Amino acid sequence: MFLIPGILAFLLIILFPLLANIGISFTEWEGIGKPDWIGLTNYIKAFGDATFWGSFKNNLIIAIVITIVPSIIGLLLAAFIFEYISIKFGSRISSFFRAGFYLPQIIPVVVSGVVWRWLLQPNWGVVNQFLNNIGLKMLAHNWLGDKSTALASIIIMTIWFQVGYPLVIFIAALQRIDPVLYEAAELDGASWRQRFFYITVNLIRPEIFVVVITTIVFAFKVFGQVFVMTRGGPGRATIVASYFSYINFFDYGKVGYGATISTVLTIIILLITAGLIMIQIKQERSS
Amino acid sequence: MKKTLLWILILAMSILMVSAFSLTACKTTATTEATTAAETTAAETTAAETTAAETTAAEITGNLVIWDYTAGESERIADKEMLDAAIEEFQAKYPKVTVDFQLKTFEQIQKMAKMVLNSDDAPDVMEINSGKATIGLYVTEGLITDITSEAQARGWDKIMPKSFQYTCLYDEDGNMGSGNLYGITYSGAYVGIYYNKDMFEQYGLEVPTSLEEFEAVCDKFVEEGIVPITVGGLEQWPLCHNWWEMVLYKADRQLLDDFYGLKNDVDFQGEAFTFGAEKIIEYLGKGYFGSNTNGTSYTDANVAFAQGINPMNLTGNWAYGNFMDTITDFDWGIFLMPGKTLVTGSGGGTSLVIPEKAKNKELAMDFLGIVIGENAQSVFANAGGVPFHADLTKITDPKLVELNEAFNTIIQNDGIGFYPDWAIPGFLDVMGASLQDLFGGNLTAAEFNDSLSKPYYEYKSSVEQ
Repeated sequence: MFLIPGILAFLLIILFPLLANIGISFTEWEGIGKPDWIGLTNYIKAFGDATFWGSFKNNLIIAIVITIVPSIIGLLLAAFIFEYISIKFGSRISSFFRAGFYLPQIIPVVVSGVVWRWLLQPNWGVVNQFLNNIGLKMLAHNWLGDKSTALASIIIMTIWFQVGYPLVIFIAALQRIDPVLYEAAELDGASWRQRFFYITVNLIRPEIFVVVITTIVFAFKVFGQVFVMTRGGPGRATIVASYFSYINFFDYGKVGYGATISTVLTIIILLITAGLIMIQIKQERSS
Repeated sequence: MKKTLLWILILAMSILMVSAFSLTACKTTATTEATTAAETTAAETTAAETTAAETTAAEITGNLVIWDYTAGESERIADKEMLDAAIEEFQAKYPKVTVDFQLKTFEQIQKMAKMVLNSDDAPDVMEINSGKATIGLYVTEGLITDITSEAQARGWDKIMPKSFQYTCLYDEDGNMGSGNLYGITYSGAYVGIYYNKDMFEQYGLEVPTSLEEFEAVCDKFVEEGIVPITVGGLEQWPLCHNWWEMVLYKADRQLLDDFYGLKNDVDFQGEAFTFGAEKIIEYLGKGYFGSNTNGTSYTDANVAFAQGINPMNLTGNWAYGNFMDTITDFDWGIFLMPGKTLVTGSGGGTSLVIPEKAKNKELAMDFLGIVIGENAQSVFANAGGVPFHADLTKITDPKLVELNEAFNTIIQNDGIGFYPDWAIPGFLDVMGASLQDLFGGNLTAAEFNDSLSKPYYEYKSSVEQ
């Protein structure tokens, strides 16, 4: 009885669109009129489509970097803020830093995308101006306009955007750890590094898992940055699955093909999530 | 204890959700009521119109919903001023009709048009990009009102020149250029070179009259360490204009008819396309565009011209009004790319259409009539637009006379070359991505042309089936 509203919402917002999307992926449809059932044709087409593979390759690169780098930075920063700043400067300063690092998460991604586009503007963007002024003119670059740096630029922006999320979760996790453990380790002569790896990292493993899973899902769904900063360009250098699906839906009028891409994306995300959760369960059992 | 707490929590959440649901339900009912009310008013309006003999226009009540996007683009001041004037004129005629002018973005209309046209929320007047991929598609689905006979009755076929009507005519397959009339367009558009007269003078340069002279001008600037042409490649479409202007040096009308009409096969490795791509590669090598085109946005490119950083800017007349407002410290002008007759551009490029599901079609027709009327068109010309029905004697600024005369030359030479992305749906995105590769120096001419040929023939064969 109590579950009815939840189930209704689930049906309406998740299950029905998901099933509709899978259904549409078997059709050829312009978005209006009648869809034509074409079976697996879209999937076969996707298999031989270089842009399709390119978009998932970019997603994979983003997922790997975005999962590893912000988590490590976040963990180190969390430890630094928790163990050093909050003790030395008090909780006010430490929450200021915590909020500061989290701020990019609150700003709409479109806004930060536009700001980063300005920063990276080749002719008078702040980054190139700065490099010119400190005498490093040869490092000034057409960041978003060059194939070799466009994806990296988007990834760096996303790291900046993402770092506050693991940070906040890890700080919360650190507060959970019994300080007695640290004291005991310190008395036994453990170095900071040993304490960090054997106590901190070990004990907050569940939180690390949560961060990894959600970040991977986030990385596969990434859209706003690409849309605002490069439109998948130059050429197809920064195209990602969600954006590729989007342009098929809305620009090309190939709704069926767009649905195919998002169906594949959904399956990949589900598989990765399921895999990670299984690993976590196994680990928890063995410990 | 814990369990009870949990249950209380679940209960509270459920109550919250249920109330949220019922709230939404209330809202829906309210909207439905509002819609019914609107429908009644609409019905009254129609009733009023049938007895128009007795009722004057001043007594007509109702709502005119207009969706427009060009008026919201900062570069297109003229469109905004013209539409404001048209709405004012409309209000003077129908003081009791509420005009609900909704500014959308190009993206919004591109993305939402399908769904909105197919719903009861369709506006009465809607601006849509011309072409087979947009209006053509909606026409085949019966979502747009055929105004052919109405327009004839009002004499619009005589007001709108043939080259303008072209972009509002669609046949039953959604092909543009022939068939019935599905809307109006009020604005011509063409692409030319904006140039900085002061910088030309400073280096002793004249307006070029041939391609060789144009290249000589560019060479001179490069020699002086100045990047001659500013291009914003981030949005892709400005690249399209720069490239197409080069293709048009070797293209003829027959090629364009085949290309846009999907008639005879087009040779993408033929003279025109090869020349176009090779020229771009040549110009890149010579430094005409600088090296940062791909990372520069269209607005940034225009700003670079307005600040006197680059002496030339190849873009459309739509930027004219903006430059008139923003450039104050140097003298500037516009010339067509010299030594050819075909020019990237169109009579129209967007159309104002009346959705099939519009509630006030009569009022909408009247509004369209005002837009192409002499008053609004003259306002448009004075703000930097290129209209077809303006009283040219009312144009005060000699610069604007020059702008309109250049367009008349194109029309008289039958030189409208349209926009290459009109050929097939979704072409701009494929083309844009390839153009970024071309401008980034990652493709040869043959590879670039091949990348266009593939989707073009893929679409063509899917239509022919």
